[in-house]
Amino acid sequence: MEKEKISGIQLFLLLLGFLFGSTVILGPAMGAKNDAWLAIILGGATGVLLMQVYVAISLLNPSKALVDILREKMGKVAGNIIAILYIWYFIHLASLVLRDFGEFICTVTFPETPMVVVIAIFAFILVYAVNSGIEVLGRLGELLVPIIPLVTLIISLSIITVRDFTAFLPVLENGMSPVLKAAFNFVTFPFGETIAFLMLFPHLNKKDKLKNVVFLSAVTSTIVVIIVFFRDIIVLGSDLMSRSTFTPHLSSLLIPGLNIEPLIDINLLIGGGIKISVCIYAAARALSQITGIDDYRKLTGAIATFCVVLSIWGFGNVLELFIWSEKVWPYYSFPFQIAIPLLLLLLSLIKKGKSPNAGTKK
Amino acid sequence: MMHRKGKKRTGIKLTAFLLVLPLLLTGCWNNRDLNEINIVAGMGVERTEGGKILLTVQVVEPAAIQSTSSGKGKGGSSQPKPVFVESCEGETVFEAVRGMLSVIDKKLFLSTAQILIIGENLSRDGIGEILDFFQRDHEIDYSMEVLVANGATPREILEVETDMDAIPAVYIKGTVENTISRGTVKKTMLIDLIKDMGSRGRQLAIGQISKTGENEIRTEGTAVFKNGKLVGWLGPYETRGYLFATNKVKSAIVNVPADKGKIAMEIMRSKGKINVTFKNGKPAALTVKVKVYANVGGYEGRGKLDPDHLIKLEQSLAEEVKKEILMALEKSQKQYSSDIFGFGTNVHKYHPMYWKNAEKNWDVIFSMLPADVRVDARIMRTGISKSPVKKDE
Repeated sequence: MEKEKISGIQLFLLLLGFLFGSTVILGPAMGAKNDAWLAIILGGATGVLLMQVYVAISLLNPSKALVDILREKMGKVAGNIIAILYIWYFIHLASLVLRDFGEFICTVTFPETPMVVVIAIFAFILVYAVNSGIEVLGRLGELLVPIIPLVTLIISLSIITVRDFTAFLPVLENGMSPVLKAAFNFVTFPFGETIAFLMLFPHLNKKDKLKNVVFLSAVTSTIVVIIVFFRDIIVLGSDLMSRSTFTPHLSSLLIPGLNIEPLIDINLLIGGGIKISVCIYAAARALSQITGIDDYRKLTGAIATFCVVLSIWGFGNVLELFIWSEKVWPYYSFPFQIAIPLLLLLLSLIKKGKSPNAGTKK
Repeated sequence: MMHRKGKKRTGIKLTAFLLVLPLLLTGCWNNRDLNEINIVAGMGVERTEGGKILLTVQVVEPAAIQSTSSGKGKGGSSQPKPVFVESCEGETVFEAVRGMLSVIDKKLFLSTAQILIIGENLSRDGIGEILDFFQRDHEIDYSMEVLVANGATPREILEVETDMDAIPAVYIKGTVENTISRGTVKKTMLIDLIKDMGSRGRQLAIGQISKTGENEIRTEGTAVFKNGKLVGWLGPYETRGYLFATNKVKSAIVNVPADKGKIAMEIMRSKGKINVTFKNGKPAALTVKVKVYANVGGYEGRGKLDPDHLIKLEQSLAEEVKKEILMALEKSQKQYSSDIFGFGTNVHKYHPMYWKNAEKNWDVIFSMLPADVRVDARIMRTGISKSPVKKDE
C-alpha cells in the first residue's frame, strides 16, 4: 500500500528524536521536584506499555494508517469525525512544540528577533523536509538524532566537577501524589504523543521489527531523561531547578570556562524539528486520506502555516504556555492518547477474534 | 522547444537562488561590533541614602590597554586610562543599567563582567531583590565572582588603580582565585548565591573585600547573611574554620606552636563533613569531621623532628584546626544565629519529617545545639631538611 519505506533503525531514531523533542529543554516531570526521577521511572514504564498498545493496534491492522483503522473500526461517519479531531490534535501538538522552540530561541539566543520570524523560518524548512517524503525524513533522523545523546553526554561530563551527589534527597518528602501526577504528565508528554506514529508505522519495511524498535526507543529515551535529571539536580540543586525556565540550558551555562549554549539550541532544533515534521506529516497524510486528495504534499504548506499562526496566537507568554502544558495538556490529551487507542485495540481484538479477514473486505 | 523551456526554468531558479544569497550576508539581526559596546569588567551595586540603587560599572577601553603596555616608561600623561568607572542611580538595577546610557556613549556589554561588588548598606537591607536581575538577565555570566564590600563603597573599590594589572577587576578576581591556596576568603560565584538564595537550610555567606590603602584592596574574610540580609563578618581565621568544615579548603598555612617557636604547616589536602546527629527524633548535636593532611613547611623553633615529636605535632595541628572551626561555629551560632554551614540542608535531606516542622525556626534550633568537632590530622612529609637551622642548646 505504501510505496515509501523506512528501515528499523530509521524508525528507531525518528521515534527517539520525537521523544526527545522539547524534553531536551523542558526537564519533564518537574512537578515532582526532588522525586522527579521516581516519576520518570514510573511514567517511563507506563509510557513503554502505552507505546506497545499503539504497536499492537498497528500490528492487528497491518499496513493501515490511523485514519483507515478508525474508519474501519468505528464506521465511516464516527471514524471520520474522530480522524478530524486527531488531525486537529496533531496540528495543535506541532504548534505547541513550535512555540516551545520559539520561546527558547527568543529568550536565550535571539532576544530581539520577533518570535514569528524564528518560528516561520523553522516551519518553512520543516515543510521542505516533510515534502521530500518520509524516506528523507528517516535519513535525516539517521543523520541528526545521534547528536542529541552525544551532546547530552558532553554536557554531563563537562559539569561533573560541580556536584552535590546527595541533592536529590529527601525521597518522597511530599508524599506520593505529586509523583503520580508528574508521572502521568510524563506519560502524556512525550510518550502518548507518539500516537502520531500510527501514521508512520505502515512505512516500516520489516513488520516483525516494529515491537522491538518501539520498545527500545522508549527505554532509551527514558534512560537519557533520567541521566539528564540527575545531572541537573546534582548541578543546580532542587530549589534552583524548580525556579529555572529552561533547566538543561541553565546547567549547560555552568560549565567552567566554556560556553556550549549553542549545543542546546542544536539539540532542540533536531528534536523539535523531527517532532514537528512528524506531526505535520501525520496531519497532512490524515487529511489527504479523509478528503481523498491523492498527494499529501498539497496540504503540508497550509497545515504548517496554520501551525505557525496557532503557535503565536495560542498563548500570551511563556508562563501561560508552561502552565497550560502542565495543567491542561495531560487531560486534554487523555482521550487522544489513551482512551481512543485503548478502544481501538479492544475493537481490533474483537474483530480479529470474530473473523480474521474482516479487515480486508473493503 | 523543450530544451528552451528547460533553460528558462534554470534561469529562473538561478535568479531566485542568487536573490536568496545576499540574505546570508546580513549576519545577525542585532549584531554589535566591538567598537559599539562598552566592555564591562566589574560591577558594583550599592543603596544610596535615598533608598535607590546605585550601580557602578568599570568599563575597559581595549585600545588604551594596548597603548599603555607598549608605551610604558615614556611617561605619557596624555594617554587615555585603560578603564573608567561610572555610576548611575535607579529605582531598580535594570533601570540603573539603562540609565547609565545617559552618561556613557555606548551600550554596556555585561557578559564580560567578572566581579560584582555589593555594598554594605545594600547587603544590610537584603540582596534578594537585586540578585533577581542577575539571575534573569541572559547576558550575565553565572560564574562571576561576588564580593561584599566592607568599609568602602563599591565605587571606591572599583576605582582602585593598581600597577599589577591594567584592569582592576581582573586584579581583584585574581586575588579571589588565589583563595584556593589560602583558604581565608570564601570564593562565591553568582550561581552559588542563586542556588542558596531561597533555601532556609543554608544561609548565604559571601567573600569580603576591603580597601587597605590608596591603591590596594584586600579580599579576606566572609560576610555572613541571614535571610538575605547582612548580619556580620567572619575574620580570616574564622573563615578558614568555616571552609575547613564545609570541605572547601584545598590548601592553607596553619601555624602550630612548638616548643620555643612555631611550625608552619602546609595543608595539602583536607576533607570536611558536617552532619546533625539525631536522638529520639530530635537533633542532639552538630558534628563536624575534618581530616587534614599536611606537610611541614617551616620550623621556626628548636629541636629535631622525630617520630614522637611528629605525633605530638599532629595532635597540636588538629587542635589548631579545631580551634578555628569552633571559632567560626561559635560566631555563626551565638552571635549571628545564621546557619551558613548548611546543617539545615543536611536535616532536610535525611530527616525530612522533622524538617517540615523545624524549618521555620531552624535558626533558633541551630544556635542552641552543642557542637562536636573532630579533627584528624596527619603529617605526610617534612620537606628536604631534617632539623631546623637553629642548633640545640
